[in-house]
Amino acid sequence: MKRFLLYAALVTGAFVSVFPYLLVVLTAFKTQGQLNSTDPWLPGLPPTLANITRLLGGDFPRYLGNTVLMTAVLTIGQLVFTTFAAYAFARLRFRGRDALFWLYVATMMVPSAVTMIPLFLIMRELDVINTWYGLLAPYILGTPYGIFLMRQFFRALPGGLEEAARIDGAGPMTILVRILLPLCRPALGTLAIITVISSWNSFLWPLIITSGDDTKVMTVALAGLKVGIGVDYNLMMAGGLIALVPMIAIFVFFQRYIVRSVVLTGLK
Amino acid sequence: MATLLARDRGKAEPGAARPGAGPRRRRSGEWYAYLFIGPSLFGVFAFLLLPVVIVFGLSFFDWELLSEPAFVGLDNYRRLAGDGEAWHSLLVTLLYVLLCVPLQTLLALGLALLLNQRAKGVKIYRALFVVPWMATPIVIGLVWNWVFDPRDGAINSALALVGITGPDWLSDPAWALPAIALVTVWQNTGYNMLFFLAGLQGIPRELHQAAATDGATPRQRFFRITLPLLNPTMFFVMVTNLIGAFQVFDTVFVMTDGGPSQSTEVLNFRIYGTAFREFDFGYASTLSMLLFLIILAVTLAQVRFFGRRTTYDVS
Repeated sequence: MKRFLLYAALVTGAFVSVFPYLLVVLTAFKTQGQLNSTDPWLPGLPPTLANITRLLGGDFPRYLGNTVLMTAVLTIGQLVFTTFAAYAFARLRFRGRDALFWLYVATMMVPSAVTMIPLFLIMRELDVINTWYGLLAPYILGTPYGIFLMRQFFRALPGGLEEAARIDGAGPMTILVRILLPLCRPALGTLAIITVISSWNSFLWPLIITSGDDTKVMTVALAGLKVGIGVDYNLMMAGGLIALVPMIAIFVFFQRYIVRSVVLTGLK
Repeated sequence: MATLLARDRGKAEPGAARPGAGPRRRRSGEWYAYLFIGPSLFGVFAFLLLPVVIVFGLSFFDWELLSEPAFVGLDNYRRLAGDGEAWHSLLVTLLYVLLCVPLQTLLALGLALLLNQRAKGVKIYRALFVVPWMATPIVIGLVWNWVFDPRDGAINSALALVGITGPDWLSDPAWALPAIALVTVWQNTGYNMLFFLAGLQGIPRELHQAAATDGATPRQRFFRITLPLLNPTMFFVMVTNLIGAFQVFDTVFVMTDGGPSQSTEVLNFRIYGTAFREFDFGYASTLSMLLFLIILAVTLAQVRFFGRRTTYDVS
């Protein structure tokens, strides 16, 4: 009986978790007529590709491309700059290191809701509103959270590794690139996944800083679908499906990296 | 978060300069170190610290972007004190936080306790529970718009099967905010569960066995062993969830746009509207300061509450 209740709870939870995704898939392949005539949880027969082709025939691929580009650039930036900084904080000794690291931890508490107005004004002053520079600049140099995560990982590596290399005359750069980075692949994977997800999903900053089609990203375009005349759920769900598929793929293939991000925060 | 580092200060780093390394070598190491942290440090100063200074300064100005900024002293704060709509927003935010954070924390803990038993297919359930967290909030908002659709949506269609006429969820001031909070709970519970699960798995089994041998009931073991030892996890989950919930924006933007009749106009949404729809940047900065101080106070309160009984091992 206890076993039964356990599985009942687990199955219910799993169903609730997945159900909205199911609706996205079902609705994306229905016609307007089928949407009105069938229950939301039943498929429309025969399924139609009309919504997806309509979406892909318009400007949407361009916005999707912008999101892909933004995600790629931000992820590469995060990996490069965060790795260097985290390595320095974890393994090098320099004046002001502890104070600076405290500063980083403190900035983790600065909410993005508070920085959005001044960031917009800074970008306006630099005359980069509605450009790629403005869109990418605030997040390309890495985040304090990423540095915190990577520092944890660097500190866990045995110290003897570098000792040997240093005696052989290797500088910090060589040690980092040749010895530590290959060992860091799991941590880099975790950082990459987290950054990909947050960049792909980001909305408020792109909404504020961009207005033209050249830099419009997918999330802003999707939000715009709702503002149009009448609510076209078929089209919205088709867009949602396109937005979700890459995230699901990442999740299926890299699930362990996500689980590791939880372990890496150092909670025991 | 202040306690986060308490333990690792003064600990010798494994890779630090070895004893006997001369001042020359150390200086060259320093040079490298500053080069390595340089870009990230610039980012922290330019895009995190400078904005905080700017938003604080701007909260004493009247600035509509096209005109010159005019210093008005505490006028914006006086205006805030008498601004019923702003306090309404704060109330809506608090209500939203109270609706979603306790629920998504307790549900997550419950699921983690279930999964921590030796059940079949734990990994699959764990994965399925985390799936909502991946989803783009904007897409989630659109999907749940559809789920909550009064006529054809999944919830009201299901209710109709048993003869109940569901409410007009997102157009009803009484239901709109709970509906958005429900979406948040749906999205965050699974991810929170991962943290609790990691925390539970870090509790040595011998503790439970020893307590059981001494005749402790499961309930006693939960409240005397499991819960106290989960303190660091609870702290982390609460802090991150509260900081996130106080800043909710995406789902509100796409589901209700603050309506109906301002019933979902959370503070962050009001800040956005004041700045980017009314171009009242000075007063929007004052509202930002209000949100910042609240988040800071809530976070520090938790540091105090959990700090005394929490130790971290971050080395």
